[in-house]
Amino acid sequence: MTIAVRTDGLTKRYGRSTAVAGVQLEIEAGEIFGLVGPNGAGKTTTLRMLATLLPPTAGDAQIGGHSVRTDPDAVRNVIGYMPDTFGVYDDMRVWEYLDFFGRCYGLSAARRRQMIGDLLELVDLADKKGAYVQDLSRGMQQRLCLAHALVHDPQVLLLDEPASGLDPRARVELRELLRELRSLGKTILISSHILPELEELCTSVAIIDHGRLLASGRVEDIADRFRVGGVYRATVLGSDEKVGKAEQVFAGLSDVVSVVRRPGGLLELALRGDENTAATVLAAAIRGGVKLSSFAPAASDLEELFLQITNVAAHDVKTTEVPA
Amino acid sequence: MTGLAAGIAQRGGRIGGRVGHAIGRFWSGISAVSIKELRGRMRGRRAFVVLTIYLMLLGLFAFAIYVYLKQQAATATIDFSNGGIIPPDLGGFPGSGQTLSNGTALSAGIGHGIFGGLLILETLLVLVLAPAFTTGAISLEREKQTLDLLVTTPLSTLGMVIGKLFSALVYVFLLIIASIPLASLVFVFGAVGPDDLFRAYLFLFALAFGMGALGLFVSALVRRTQTATVITFVLVLVLSLGTAAAYQFWQVAASSTTQSSGLLLSSRSGRAPEALLWLNPFVADLDMVCATAPDTYHVSCQYISSVTGRPYFGTPNTTTQTFSPGKGGPITVPVPAPTVPNAGGGVVGGSGSGSSGAIDITVNPGVVIANPGGPCLAPDGISPCVATSANDALSFGFPRDTFWPKSAIAFIVLGALLTLLAAQLVSPTRRLRFSRPRFRRPSPPKAIEPDTPAAVENAS
Repeated sequence: MTIAVRTDGLTKRYGRSTAVAGVQLEIEAGEIFGLVGPNGAGKTTTLRMLATLLPPTAGDAQIGGHSVRTDPDAVRNVIGYMPDTFGVYDDMRVWEYLDFFGRCYGLSAARRRQMIGDLLELVDLADKKGAYVQDLSRGMQQRLCLAHALVHDPQVLLLDEPASGLDPRARVELRELLRELRSLGKTILISSHILPELEELCTSVAIIDHGRLLASGRVEDIADRFRVGGVYRATVLGSDEKVGKAEQVFAGLSDVVSVVRRPGGLLELALRGDENTAATVLAAAIRGGVKLSSFAPAASDLEELFLQITNVAAHDVKTTEVPA
Repeated sequence: MTGLAAGIAQRGGRIGGRVGHAIGRFWSGISAVSIKELRGRMRGRRAFVVLTIYLMLLGLFAFAIYVYLKQQAATATIDFSNGGIIPPDLGGFPGSGQTLSNGTALSAGIGHGIFGGLLILETLLVLVLAPAFTTGAISLEREKQTLDLLVTTPLSTLGMVIGKLFSALVYVFLLIIASIPLASLVFVFGAVGPDDLFRAYLFLFALAFGMGALGLFVSALVRRTQTATVITFVLVLVLSLGTAAAYQFWQVAASSTTQSSGLLLSSRSGRAPEALLWLNPFVADLDMVCATAPDTYHVSCQYISSVTGRPYFGTPNTTTQTFSPGKGGPITVPVPAPTVPNAGGGVVGGSGSGSSGAIDITVNPGVVIANPGGPCLAPDGISPCVATSANDALSFGFPRDTFWPKSAIAFIVLGALLTLLAAQLVSPTRRLRFSRPRFRRPSPPKAIEPDTPAAVENAS
C-alpha cells in the first residue's frame, strides 16, 4: 500500500502555547482514518496545516508525495477540505456554488456541467439544484460542502467534524456517503470528538490530546496496546471520604489501568484482561474494606476506550477528577 | 553543447509551464471570483434600486443648482437695474461669472456650476460607495467562514483579490457611466467641453480604483467587517478632510516664516508640499472646476494656484502682482483697470489675500458691466463676455491640468499597491516567501497608513 498522508514532526505553536506538538502520522491510501480527541486537542489545527491553511511552525507533512511547506499548490490539487464550521455564500444557487468551485479549480465548462450533475447525484441534492444555498437545511449544506470538496476529484479528503450538528438520520446518510467515497478509492481523514460514529466507519484511528499524538493505528491494535480488557462501573457506598478511599484502593491494584471518579459515588475503572481479572479486582477491593453496591461492566466502546487512553497517556496519573 | 542547449530549453519549458500555470490560476481567480460576486450583486432588485436612487439624487442636485443659479442671476439683474450694485456674495462658488446680465454668460455660469456640482457630488458618492463595496470583500468571507474554502483551492490570491475588486468596481463604474447622460446636460449651457467631462470621468475611475483598493486592503488586514468599515471610512475622511487641514496648517506655518520677505505669495520653499493633497479628490475636482470657470478669479483657481504655485492672471485690486513660479523667477503681471473686488471670499493660503472688501466698480450704464477681471477684460476691458469665455480663460488665464493628473496617478498607484498588499494578507500560507531568512520587507513610502508595513509584519 502506498502512503497517502505522512506527517513528520508536525508542530504548530502560537506564541508560548503549543497547539500541535510533533505529530507523526502515516495514512495509507484507501483508508478512512479517524483523528480523535477532545475539544482543543489540536485536531483542527492539524487538519488546517494539512489543508495548507496554516503554515507549520516545525516539521512537515506530505500529501500525495507533495510537501505542504514547499509545494502547497500541488497539495491543494490533491486534497478536498471540509472545515468544521463553514459558511455559505448568500445569493447563490446550489449549482452556482459548485460551478464557482469548478472554476476555481480551472475545470472546463463541459467538465463543470458533468461534475455538477454527478456530485449532486452523489450527495443526493439533485432536486435542489436551483435552490438557494442559504435556504438548505444544515444537513444539506453539510453534504453540499462535502460535494464542493469533491469538485476536482481529489485523492485525499480532509473532513473536520463532518458529523457535528447533524441529526442521527443525517449522520447515517453521511456514513453511507463516506463508505461510498471510500469505495471510489479515496483516502479519507476525519476528525471528531463524537466517537460512536467513527467506530464503525474508521479503519484506523489516531488519538490526540493537548497537541500530542497518544496512539495511532488500527482500532484493534490500539485496544490491544493499552490492553484495556473492559471498563467497569463501581458504585461506592458511603461518604465522599469513603469514595476517595475506595478510589485509592482501586488505583493501587495492578490490574487497574485507570480510575475515573464520577459524581454519586460512581467510579469508572479500566481493567486489563477479562472477567477473571474483574473478579480478582472486586475481591481485592472488598478485602481492602471498600463497600460496593454495584460492580458491572460498562458498555465498552471506542468512546470509553478513548477516555481511558487519554487519561492514562496524557495525564499519566491513575486517579483523575472528572467534573460533572 | 547540444546537451546544454537541450537542458536550457527543457528548463525554459519547465519554467514557462510553471509561469503559464501561475497565469492560469491568476486568470481563473479573477474570472471565478468576479463571476460569483457579480451574480450575487446583480441578483434581485437591490442593484437597480441603488442605481435609480443614485441617478435621481444626481438629477435633483443638478436641477437644484440650475434653479439656484437662475434665481441668483435674476436677482442680480434686478439689483443691477435698480442700483447698479452687484451683490458681493455672487462671486463665489458655484456660480461665479453669472453676475452678468448677459444671457450667454449666465448660461456658461450655469454649465460651469452644474459641472462643478455634479463632479463634487459624484466624487463624494464614489468616495463612499467604492470602499463600501469592497470593505467586506475579505473580512466577510472570514466572518462567514467561506475564506478557507477559497484558500484551499489553487486560485492565486492576487487573482482572487483582483476579482473581488473588479466585481465591486464594475458596479461603481456602472453608476459612474450611468451618470454620463445627466452630466452631458452641461453641454446645453456651455462653458464645459466634452474634454472637460472626459477628464472628470477619467479621474472618477481612478478615484474609484484607489478607494476600492483601500477598502479591500483594510478588509484583508482586519478580521471583522465592522472594524474594517470604520477604519476604511476614517481613512477616507483623513484623505478628503485631513489632508486639506494638514496642508492648511503647514501652509500657515510656512508662510509665517517667509512673511518677512515681503512677498504676497510665499516662496516655493516655504510652501507646503503639493503631494500632501494628491490623495485629496476634492482638490483635483477644484482643478477641473477651475478649468471650466468663466473667470479665473474663481475660488477654485485661487486654491489650485496656491497649491501648485503657478500664477493665475488677473488678480484684482492691484495693478502689479508679483508671483513666484517655481522656475524662472518672479513675473510681473500688469493688470488693466477696471477692478472689481474679488468677492469670492475663500481666499486661501495667503495667495491673493491682497483683495479686500472695498467695492470699486466702474458702472457704465447701458453697456454691459465689466465682469470681475477675468478674460473678458483681457483685450480691451469692455468687450462683452460670450460663451467662449471659458476658452479664453484657458488661453489667457490659468494653466490647465496642473494638478488633477498627478492626483489620478496617485490614486492608481495607491490602488495597485494596496491590491498587492491585500493579496499578501489574505492567508498566512499565501505570502511571498523570501529566501533570505532575515529579510525585512522594504516598507513602502506611504503617508496615509503608517501602520501598514508593521501590520504585515505582525500578521506573519
